[in-house]
Amino acid sequence: MVEKIRHIKEQFEADLKGVEGPADLEALRIKYLSRKGLIAQLFDQLKAVAPPDRPPLGRSLNELRAFVQNLFESKSSSAVAGGHTSGIDRSLPGRPRPVGTKHPLTQTIEELKRIFAGMGFGVAVGPDIEDEYHNFTALNFPPEHPARDMQDTFFISKNILLRTHTSPVQIRVMKSRKPPVRVIMPGRVYRNEAVSARSHVLFHQLEGLYVDRHVTMSELKGTLVSFAHQYYGSSVKYKFRPTFFPFTEPSADMYISCIICNQKGCAICKYNGWLEILGSGMVHPNVLKHGGCDPEKYSGFAFGMGIERMALLRYGIDDIRLYFENDLRFLKQF
Amino acid sequence: MKISHQWLRTLVPVMLSPEKLAEGLSMLGLEIERFEDQGKRLDGFVVGEVRSVEKHPNADKLTVCQVAVGTQTLQVVCGAPNVASGQKVVVGLEGATVPRDQHATGGPPFVLRRAKIRGVESQGMICSEYELEMGDDRNGIMILHSSAKPGTPHARHFGRSDVIYDVEITANRGDWLSHMGVAREVAALTGKKAAIPAVKLRESREHVSKHASVILGDKHGCQRYVALVFRNVRIGPSPMWLQNRLMSVGVRPINNVVDATNSVMLETGQPLHAFDNDKVGGHSIVVRGAKDGEAFTTLDGKTRTLKAGSLLICDNQRPIAIAGIMGGLNSEISDVTTNVLLESAWFDPVSIRRTSRYLGLSTDASQRFERSVDIDTCLYAAQRAGGLFQELTGAEVLKGAIDVYPKKRKQTLLKARISKINAILGTNLSVTRVSALLGRLGLEVQSSTADSVSLRIPSYRRDLIQEIDLVEEVARMYGYNNIDTETSARIGYAARADAGPEDDVRNFLVGGGFNEIVVNSLQKRSLALLGEEQPVEVLNPVSVDMEMLRTSLIPGALEVLEHNFNRGAKGMRLFECGKVFWRVAGGSEDALEDYKEEQRLLLVLTGDHFNRHHSEKQRKYDILDLKGEVEGLLAKFFLDKCRLIPYDNGKPLSVDNISIEIQGTYAGFLGRLRKEIGAKFGIEEEVLVAELSVDVLSSFWNKDRKFRSLNRFPSVTRDLAFVVAANVPQGNVEQAIREAGGELLSGVFLFDLYSGEQVGVGNKSLAYALEFQPADRTLTDEEVNGIVSKIIRHVQSACGASVRG
Repeated sequence: MVEKIRHIKEQFEADLKGVEGPADLEALRIKYLSRKGLIAQLFDQLKAVAPPDRPPLGRSLNELRAFVQNLFESKSSSAVAGGHTSGIDRSLPGRPRPVGTKHPLTQTIEELKRIFAGMGFGVAVGPDIEDEYHNFTALNFPPEHPARDMQDTFFISKNILLRTHTSPVQIRVMKSRKPPVRVIMPGRVYRNEAVSARSHVLFHQLEGLYVDRHVTMSELKGTLVSFAHQYYGSSVKYKFRPTFFPFTEPSADMYISCIICNQKGCAICKYNGWLEILGSGMVHPNVLKHGGCDPEKYSGFAFGMGIERMALLRYGIDDIRLYFENDLRFLKQF
Repeated sequence: MKISHQWLRTLVPVMLSPEKLAEGLSMLGLEIERFEDQGKRLDGFVVGEVRSVEKHPNADKLTVCQVAVGTQTLQVVCGAPNVASGQKVVVGLEGATVPRDQHATGGPPFVLRRAKIRGVESQGMICSEYELEMGDDRNGIMILHSSAKPGTPHARHFGRSDVIYDVEITANRGDWLSHMGVAREVAALTGKKAAIPAVKLRESREHVSKHASVILGDKHGCQRYVALVFRNVRIGPSPMWLQNRLMSVGVRPINNVVDATNSVMLETGQPLHAFDNDKVGGHSIVVRGAKDGEAFTTLDGKTRTLKAGSLLICDNQRPIAIAGIMGGLNSEISDVTTNVLLESAWFDPVSIRRTSRYLGLSTDASQRFERSVDIDTCLYAAQRAGGLFQELTGAEVLKGAIDVYPKKRKQTLLKARISKINAILGTNLSVTRVSALLGRLGLEVQSSTADSVSLRIPSYRRDLIQEIDLVEEVARMYGYNNIDTETSARIGYAARADAGPEDDVRNFLVGGGFNEIVVNSLQKRSLALLGEEQPVEVLNPVSVDMEMLRTSLIPGALEVLEHNFNRGAKGMRLFECGKVFWRVAGGSEDALEDYKEEQRLLLVLTGDHFNRHHSEKQRKYDILDLKGEVEGLLAKFFLDKCRLIPYDNGKPLSVDNISIEIQGTYAGFLGRLRKEIGAKFGIEEEVLVAELSVDVLSSFWNKDRKFRSLNRFPSVTRDLAFVVAANVPQGNVEQAIREAGGELLSGVFLFDLYSGEQVGVGNKSLAYALEFQPADRTLTDEEVNGIVSKIIRHVQSACGASVRG
């Protein structure tokens, strides 16, 4: 085999010298570089070689191919190829065209919108500057309740604040239309936290709400499992774990099997094989009432996820500050 | 909170392995983030006996010790002043990891190696309390009791074979802040019964009421106050078993009285406070609200200023504790205390939380009170502590208890409809099944019908107040993962994925080679104040860099330009779609109507044009590049409904501005960044910016397009050049052409702009290709000539132009 490789190389060099016109060049290409050319034949023969010998032979074969390809290309772009062409050096760089990019957060939100649109969810938005009523009271946070500590809040005045979650949009949507209501609500939220690789004063959430007659927890699970399969792939495993949110009851955190390490254990899943991807639950009767829906007639489910976390799991971006720094070397990767 | 496996086992039988227990409780909602097997800590440390101590031959402050560690004797070089022959000590063996290095700042851990110290071999290390993380003393080695057996592993000697769970408590379950609460959850998980430890008290004949009294001045803030009184208390260190138990869950032992109260709090969830009864004036307790500005020194030695309404525990003349948060220096238990008054009370969660936040003081007690403790546990917890006092301090327990409990809590009953449970969960559970599931949580069925159960709610479950709370308990006990996953979601309603132009605009710009940026909406004062509107200010910013909300997308983008120019970028095409915020002038500040927010679109071009190519002359972006981008964008979505009007309307950030109007409504502007603004960001290149209101774009947004049939008749093109004074804007000439051209004139294209001697100094020549398109006939030459003459006449009179021959 080694001998053959050396031989073909020499043969090619000799043939190359004899090339005089485009027809010769094409013949040369067919002889060496085509799908059934000499080099391809050698690659076929590689399969018959004993496994331990394959890597070094494979390497020299690849070297041979690169060698032949390079010489062929430089010959074909040179004047020899002439004939009826303009004589332009086709190896010159093309005139540039700017390549635009969408921010990874936008791309993530767009994909989520597409998935949920397919399940019948429309899109709604609400203000970033909210009042205490929509951000807390209507969502069943009692005054002076420790649950309010879960979300460190930026205040603008006694009653006005920067929303700490997209959940207040639930109230606005319920008040503005009659059930059935089926919407997702993406948006910016704010938390009074120190800025680090893991947390920021600013991040994005996507909230979902479905209110109608006879909406069950079973359907909540069905919808979210379908979402997880569409977004993360149909092979992911999932589980739901009880948790507490004032605005849903029962409340559930959803976990999927770690897509980074396949449950072998990695830093992202903290070596337990599971990733928390969203919070969810059945809309609390008090919240339905604040939204103007009779809890005896209607039920509903809601869910919320962090967009930065979704993007982290998708792209492996491990420092949240990168999203808002807008370094072009970062942006141009997406 | 830390939970000890061994402690838990005194309250409920636990057959599960730590892994299984952690997983089981987590799946009930009591999240166990991790657990630690303490037997595996301090591996490689053993008890040693110092056989001999000799002076180090080459160092004054070092000694060479022979230390027996069971089967062998090691030579250890020691620097501690207190080492002596015959002591029992802790020895670290070769390869062991010492948790803290007391000779290095920050005390990092290090691994022990066999080493020569000043020429003498040392085969191990005798450790201090500090090095073993067992205390803060680093002045000498830790000396064990003489009964310690050489060779015994450290963990076994200290009885550390426990497993410690790190439990994450949800805000609704204050009852989980105790071993008892967790034990009840274990019982629910395993079906075993949790048992409250029995209280053994030998009361003396002297009645407590002769030695203490309690008056509730605020019956809402304090709804129950239990006091026990003890005499002949001997303060001293707690026995090892109690010290170890506290240390294993991260609580530092102090003395037997304080340790007993802490232990009962960790067991029952009821915070207790022990006062030195000799320092309680008149032996009388008064619970009252603080006066505004009232100062008080807590037992950590800090003087704190209170707000009106904060609850204080006082004696007959002065405060002695901040209720539910921290005791006072003036009534603290000391080494000479002999008479103790023990408090076990229920304080209003809202009041405690307010005071704790106001003072910035959060304690183990306040965390429990603000989640509400079990009012019916107060007396038990006091007696449980009393039993420990008696056992640990030999105290005399006075007969009875003062128990001020004016409005006794009634037993609560809660009803749940089986149909409702099944309707919410999507299950098909029977009455019997629901009763059994809830029974595991200690909720007893009082009565039931075909469709409902009525349950007695235990006093420790203050979170169960309405039917939906029981639905959740059923779901937890049934198992979330046993609920069917219904995949046949009802897709009854079509959803339009988006309502506005944002997604389409983004796609258009990305196709046009723009990079999208997402910028923080919180920014520093100096940036927010660059805009035209009054910025919205945050009352509690995390830093001065994020005090205000942006009033324009431009300043934030300039920081992005600065960042990228500093990292070698030569030219940039950026856009952002985001909100800006401002305050409404004259608003009250406290209503939503006083604030406005608007979605904006920002386009930025700066630096080198993208045409970098050997065949092109490299140039910079200029205002016409940006104008072209904006025109293209608007033409794509709004066809001919928009106008760009050169109009310098005093924008604070830019000059050479062009206003953008859609059907007469102002939609934004484009312009050239003022040099002095760019300089603030160290930007030397020219920056072109356009900022449009997405809200205005949306309002004119109409995706519905109607097809217009294509024209079958040929168009005619004529070239025409005008010479005008150099200061006449091109727009005026073009407008005059269009006015005179009428409906037949379908296109005006400026193909040459020239100024030079040939057209006379102070003049310029504008050459146009004019296209005429008839709708219903073929144009004759005469017809076209007629219109061209009309155009020439009109441009001559309107712009003072002459036709260039």
